[in-house]
Amino acid sequence: MATMDCNEFLHHLEPWLEGSQHPEARVHLHDCSHCRGLVEDFGALQTAARELSAADPEPPARVWASLRAQLEQEGLIRGGRRTNWLHGLFAPIPRPALAGAYLALLIAAAFAVSGPIHRRVNDYRWIEGNQTSALSAQLDTAEQNTVASFHHANPAVTASLHENLAIVDNYITLCEKSVREDPQNEVARDYLYTAYQQKADLLAQMTDRGDGDYGR
Amino acid sequence: MPEAQAIRLAQQGDAAAFERLYRLHSRRVYSLCLRMVGNTAEAEDLTQEAFLQLFRKIATFRGESAFSTWLHRLSVNVVLMRLRKKSGTETSLEEVTEPDEDSGGPRRDFGGPDLRLSGSIDRVNLQRAVDQLPPGYKSVFVLHDVQGYEHNEIAEIMSCSIGNSKSQLHKARMRLRELLHEALRSKAREERKAAGNAGGED
Repeated sequence: MATMDCNEFLHHLEPWLEGSQHPEARVHLHDCSHCRGLVEDFGALQTAARELSAADPEPPARVWASLRAQLEQEGLIRGGRRTNWLHGLFAPIPRPALAGAYLALLIAAAFAVSGPIHRRVNDYRWIEGNQTSALSAQLDTAEQNTVASFHHANPAVTASLHENLAIVDNYITLCEKSVREDPQNEVARDYLYTAYQQKADLLAQMTDRGDGDYGR
Repeated sequence: MPEAQAIRLAQQGDAAAFERLYRLHSRRVYSLCLRMVGNTAEAEDLTQEAFLQLFRKIATFRGESAFSTWLHRLSVNVVLMRLRKKSGTETSLEEVTEPDEDSGGPRRDFGGPDLRLSGSIDRVNLQRAVDQLPPGYKSVFVLHDVQGYEHNEIAEIMSCSIGNSKSQLHKARMRLRELLHEALRSKAREERKAAGNAGGED
């Protein structure tokens, strides 16, 4: 049987790696250590690449949070959690841990209604800069209370919620920095309020899932 | 919620459908971006940008191609655009590879018979080598060998021919082999040097 040379073998390399092994290519490989080395190395590369894929991470939660805020900003989505969150705060019996934040929002709402700029009540962007610090402080208090009273039988749930809380806190820090640098930037303030909303949601989840005082 | 239903609802602006589509595909898109730019902060930014473009255009999706192919095409374009902006030039896919290797110049002899990669490639080594590939090679290697796309899908994603995809993949692998061999040789040199130093101390 006539054997192929190394250049000809290269045309059979890809099919060879995919399992289609031409008889002439087999003969060439038997005789050629250079091409055998190539096949072995490419095989090792493919294996390592698949292992790389198995280790692919999930994007952090903040990517979806930012994306969602942007989609809402552009009016591309409806039925957002922002409205649900406000509905939650205006529910007849607010969760004890969130009572402070609830109160801060009520104060802010009262300010907005009586203020010179008339905006929709269910749009939180009207809250002025001096109220952000009040809301932030109230959320911090709510966090302290919730974390102090949070108990769950499964330590993995506790760890996960704490980890998420740390992520949201970092996100809030970044957003607050952006707002401090440009207080009139509506997009930056939008991101900040979305971050506050996420924290309130998370605290609410801790309240719901905990088997401590607040979960009962 | 199945993907087809999520697409239909997202086209009507349904928030839960957007989130469903994001959850279904974000890992692959983020991984693609991460492998391409090798930087988590930038990969996050690019993932957000790719999905933003997707959701802005979702009303125009008619299902001629698979949704994931469409999304990956957008993602690859977003990444390549960013890489082009960084390099400060407007370049085509062909130019983000290494055109001198297409010009029929002498073939380089990669690696000697004494070196084999089998068993010596770890994740860090491979990612470091991938980071050094030109963007065009990198895209095809990541899509084919890491993410498991077929050449016909890559051709659609990258807007190139199937032959072009195969050729880019071969060149990418050859370049990676060269880079990994070089890393092995460096390591061997360092080990010999360290052994020599240790021997000298005796």
